[in-house]
Amino acid sequence: MLVLLDSLPILTAFSVSLAVCVLSAFIFLHPRVPLGFIRLHLGIITLPVLIALLALITTDASTIIGPWRLDPLAWLMVLFVLTIGLVVQRYSVRYFLGDRSYRKYFALLTFTIGAASFAWLSNDLRWLVIWWGITLLGLILLISLNKEWKVARMAAIFSGRLFVFSWLALLVAIIWLSQATGHWQLSLMMAKDSLAQISSWERTGINMLLVLAVVIPAAQWPFQRWLLESVVAPTPVSAVMHAGLVNAGGIMLTRFAPLFSGDLAQIFLIILSSISILLGTGISLVQVDYKRQLVGSTIAQMGFMLIQCALNAYLAAIIHLVLHGLFKATLFLQAGSAVRRYERTSRPIQISSLLWIIVGSALGLLVVIYFWLTAPEMGYQLISALIFGCSLFFAWTQLVAFGYGLIGRIAGFFLLGGAVMVFSIIHAAFFELLHETVYQVVQPPTLVVILVMVILLSGSALGVWLTRSRSSTAFAILYLWLVRLGEPHSDLVESHPNYLAQYLYWGGNRR
Amino acid sequence: MTVTSTLLEKVNLQKEKLTQDAPHLDINHLVKSASRVIAPLWPIATFAARNPWMGLEGQSFEQIARWLKDSRDVDIYPCPSLIHAAQKRGEINEDFLETALKRWLDIQSIKLPRGVAERFCRAALKLDELPSTLLEALEVKVLAEKLSALKPQNLEKHPLKPLSLCLEQQSGEKVAHALDHHIIKWCKLFLDESQAAWSLPNREEGFYRAWRRLIQYDPSLSHTQRQRLKDWPQEAHTALKKALLALKIPQSEIQDYLEAHLLALPGWTGMMLWRSQQSTQESSLLTEYLAVRISMEWTLIKPHLPLLKQKDEDKCSLVPLIAAWIHWGDMTIEDWTKLSIPEQKARLTLAYRFDEIVRRRLWLEAWEQTYTDQLIEMVLSKQLVSDQKKQTLAQFAFCIDVRSEPFRRKLEKAGPFETHGMAGFFGLPIKTCELGSQHAHSSLPVILKPQYKVKESSPEFELKSYQQRRQTANSLSYTFKMMKQNLLTSLMLPEVSGPWLCLQLLARSFVPRSAGHIFRKLQEAWLRKPSTELSLDREYNLETELPIGFCEEEKVHYVRQALKMMGLTDHFAPLVVICGHESHSTNNPYAAALDCGACGGASGGFNARVLAALCNLPKVREILKTEGISIPEDTVFVAAEHITTLDELRWIYVPKLSDAAQEAFQHIQTILPKVSNDAIAERLSQLPNLGFRSKNPRAEAQRFAEDWSEVRPEWGLARNAAFIIGDRRLTQECDLDGRVFLHNYDWQKDKDGTLLSNIIAGPATVAQWINLQYYASTVAPHYYGSGNKATQTVTGGLGVMQGNASDLLAGLPWQSVVRSDQEVYHAPLRLLVVIQAPQEYVVRLLDHDPTFRQKVQNRWLRLANIDPEGYWKIWS
Repeated sequence: MLVLLDSLPILTAFSVSLAVCVLSAFIFLHPRVPLGFIRLHLGIITLPVLIALLALITTDASTIIGPWRLDPLAWLMVLFVLTIGLVVQRYSVRYFLGDRSYRKYFALLTFTIGAASFAWLSNDLRWLVIWWGITLLGLILLISLNKEWKVARMAAIFSGRLFVFSWLALLVAIIWLSQATGHWQLSLMMAKDSLAQISSWERTGINMLLVLAVVIPAAQWPFQRWLLESVVAPTPVSAVMHAGLVNAGGIMLTRFAPLFSGDLAQIFLIILSSISILLGTGISLVQVDYKRQLVGSTIAQMGFMLIQCALNAYLAAIIHLVLHGLFKATLFLQAGSAVRRYERTSRPIQISSLLWIIVGSALGLLVVIYFWLTAPEMGYQLISALIFGCSLFFAWTQLVAFGYGLIGRIAGFFLLGGAVMVFSIIHAAFFELLHETVYQVVQPPTLVVILVMVILLSGSALGVWLTRSRSSTAFAILYLWLVRLGEPHSDLVESHPNYLAQYLYWGGNRR
Repeated sequence: MTVTSTLLEKVNLQKEKLTQDAPHLDINHLVKSASRVIAPLWPIATFAARNPWMGLEGQSFEQIARWLKDSRDVDIYPCPSLIHAAQKRGEINEDFLETALKRWLDIQSIKLPRGVAERFCRAALKLDELPSTLLEALEVKVLAEKLSALKPQNLEKHPLKPLSLCLEQQSGEKVAHALDHHIIKWCKLFLDESQAAWSLPNREEGFYRAWRRLIQYDPSLSHTQRQRLKDWPQEAHTALKKALLALKIPQSEIQDYLEAHLLALPGWTGMMLWRSQQSTQESSLLTEYLAVRISMEWTLIKPHLPLLKQKDEDKCSLVPLIAAWIHWGDMTIEDWTKLSIPEQKARLTLAYRFDEIVRRRLWLEAWEQTYTDQLIEMVLSKQLVSDQKKQTLAQFAFCIDVRSEPFRRKLEKAGPFETHGMAGFFGLPIKTCELGSQHAHSSLPVILKPQYKVKESSPEFELKSYQQRRQTANSLSYTFKMMKQNLLTSLMLPEVSGPWLCLQLLARSFVPRSAGHIFRKLQEAWLRKPSTELSLDREYNLETELPIGFCEEEKVHYVRQALKMMGLTDHFAPLVVICGHESHSTNNPYAAALDCGACGGASGGFNARVLAALCNLPKVREILKTEGISIPEDTVFVAAEHITTLDELRWIYVPKLSDAAQEAFQHIQTILPKVSNDAIAERLSQLPNLGFRSKNPRAEAQRFAEDWSEVRPEWGLARNAAFIIGDRRLTQECDLDGRVFLHNYDWQKDKDGTLLSNIIAGPATVAQWINLQYYASTVAPHYYGSGNKATQTVTGGLGVMQGNASDLLAGLPWQSVVRSDQEVYHAPLRLLVVIQAPQEYVVRLLDHDPTFRQKVQNRWLRLANIDPEGYWKIWS
């Protein structure tokens, strides 16, 4: 049995440790401090991670202390953000060695990550807005840290403008909400009697502003450009951005769930996000640059996460955003390994493989039905079952049905089995952790669920059909549009990194 | 244009003009001639050194420097900060600079008092910049106006620029920029090697045709722009001609115009050039590229045509010349007015001639000469004179690679060993095919063509299960990729793979060394590669284009050639170790750049094994014996691999050993750890660190190899500077600091000079390419390098781009040549080739090899020789 710790000491310890992190980042900024100090700094920034982990394990109810809300969801987010920050800083120690802005990178990363973790602990929305603003500012500065590089500067300016817009939308929404309910504390605002005070048009207005505030960082259509253009940022900064910033919408909407659920704005969000899923997937299909493919995929994944929110499946959205964050951070950090030869010997499809495929499809179908039947009243469950069944069938086909020889099939089977098992365990763990904190009452209208299903299925079907008719004009047009939408603006392209000539010219004369 | 086009070309063109009209213009021929300004670029997975100026060696280094400065604003002489840093480190002896300056002044015949001229030049050689206040000053401008009649004669014409660039410079509208972006897009989509799930439609029909079909729908062009290209010709060369005609490029300038366009994106055009050399189907790819590019250019600038005539902007404005005299010559405006006209003219001429390129050239040459001088002094003072032959226990043959030198030095110190150097493909022109793989790698220098194929094989049942395990390992990453590319499954993928990737993320971050080690070991344990045989004997198989294995005479031929090249034809030790080399790095798109350059950017282990196995064949030895190369019966050849990142020697082929060989082998095993530790310690002290030494150098080296965040797993061939062709005893006592390629050579055994000319044509050329690649990536990192590793993205599986999109970057990344953004590590010196042989040998070599003579004369490398009496002569 775990001893339940008191929340206040934990919060104090956490705040102190973060303050020490920031202090250490400041110390490192000083040019006289030796570079070796970075090892100590890494040790220091591990502290809040450990404290957050401890807090997550020991907290099982929601406590409100001053402007802070301490519940498992808050601690989970803090742990997640800080872990990404720690890993990325660890990575940067060698990766940026020799960089002109070496010290500044660490300072900015520490500030940004620290601010983000406070943002997710805030219950007082005024605090949330401030911390979130600092996080966005930090990211902009990180993108533009190489000031000599024109392209980076311009990308930062462009993203900055959109971020300001998004931040203002959030600010207005929050002020409006507090005017309507008379509170600044989120937990009080979301109480039933507070919500009852908001008229329905006000509610939709606030929700629309919220949607605006979250779709911009999530790079949803039509605001996807900033993410596509910030490919100029150094790899670790991209990792932070794709793991910790773009998915902020998921957390925000989860926190605002009682307000957001059942509102018209959800339909609006579903439309934007569905387009984004199709667009993002399309971009990652046609693009040939590794990082740009990842950006396309992020746009689609964030679309999916927001759809989950719009279907009131907040728990699923949280799971998705955490796992996607880790997934994308890893893919970015290992972007240097993208030069790989995929050797695939094509073998004729044998009858036995066909048999295995049939088994696979039966299996997939069974899973869909089973999942759906476990909770037929949950609207999102249907979509989740569909995607899961489809993935299972797909992986089965690749790993087992097309497995080479007995070894291949057996290994494939075990791999698949292992993956499914870990998947279930992780999901169960998340459910155990969050089911009390995350709002999950209202069910979305069936019509909406069916709409999402139709969009996803017809998107898939369209994809399949187009790959079959690659010589058609329709394919050419779609292809070129996807390329165009995935390409950066011409001003953000430079044929050669000319700033390096400047660096060389300065030599050691300028620090 | 005097610089860019050869005279011959011009004569041809004029002839053509007289006899034929435009429709018969041989455009393919012109494209071919124009392609001299770029160099083919290999895919990054087989990164092999590439000399960016390989087609330009017919002109002098200085001429090319001027031309590049004028046409692309690229400096290929080191910039002042590089020179000053070298000067501070004591790498430049200023006496050499002074002598060079005097020599330069001697040939100028300018009527100025020598003292005045010298003082001016010396001040200018400080390389400080002219103050902008002076350049802007009104009085200077007025004076310049007054003196305009005295302008030095400028014979050189401006290099031709693409019209889009002229327009951009005239009106500020970013057409050239937009054109580059369009072309980058088309190139990457066309050249992609299966990174994208949906590839460019109609790609099979070739670049031009695919473009032509699609351009009508391209939403990044406006409707009117698309309309302009509506009835564009079917064929690339007609389209190119049509575009050139529409742009009104005079026939005599077409080649220059094409060259200017090729230079805009030298990386992508280099890749096109490489592809065009790979198959006959795509042989006219460069023409197609130019057709696309110039047609697009026409479309984009059409509304602005005709452009105002490119005004000959005053290249030799007098302002900087006068400013130079005021700044460096300690003059005032009044002093000027007091001078007589001839003297004014003389001063202006001097300032004009002693321009920045000359100044930097003098510095570079002084730097190079200082290095030569130091090398000579070291070699002469430490030459091993004693010829006493100790009983050598083992002989090692290493690659000439500069990284072998420190390891060889440590190895020789540790025991009675002899080491030899030769190119790391060991003279075997083979394609290698690893067990179970369909892919064959050309394991030889890129300047040569493979002639044989050697495959690994193993018994059928072992092979089959190995194949299955391999396939399974592959299918995991393949399934991952496929799931990523499917709409529905991609949504589930993060949730399925997230936990696993998270595990990897944490492990690689916090225990990089063990994590990398464990992942590698797991992979090996799963694959369990069976022991293999090599297909050394000729197999007759009609399906393959290359013969598999060697016939009897060929085996003898290659063994004989290799032994002669490495200078090992008598006094065989009981054990001869043939060492290939490879590097280990993680998450590094440039991994191949650290492998053996002589093996086409891969490990040299395979070649080493083939050679060792051939040397052990009794039949081969029998025949060699009749020719005077008698290998004792108890001498055994084994093969190993020198892992340069770890300074380890790994055995890859050890047959049954004789007793004597076994003894030698045991001895090597016992001393290896120490050798390896010493070599690591020497190397680690050079690599940037965070201010403290690791207590365990070996573990630290492993971390460098396994850490996924490491941008400098090793220094590679940075700081390479010389190539010594001679006996190892010449250099054995010297610490050459890992800067020198070492090739064995004994002139006494090479009466007719063929061996020497082979060394020059093969290994020395590869070394020169490596050297110039490092040189170019250092002096012009933005144009010839690959930029910062942190902001690169791998594109199309072929190469890297910077930021959002850029040229396909061809050279070494910034981090591979600099220690930090403030400190450059590589010293950009042109390769010094030192031949240990009498002068007649060198004279004969220069007579017989015009390509090499040209390199020396035009200063693409430097040449020196040391004769049997120990006298040196520097040839350039």
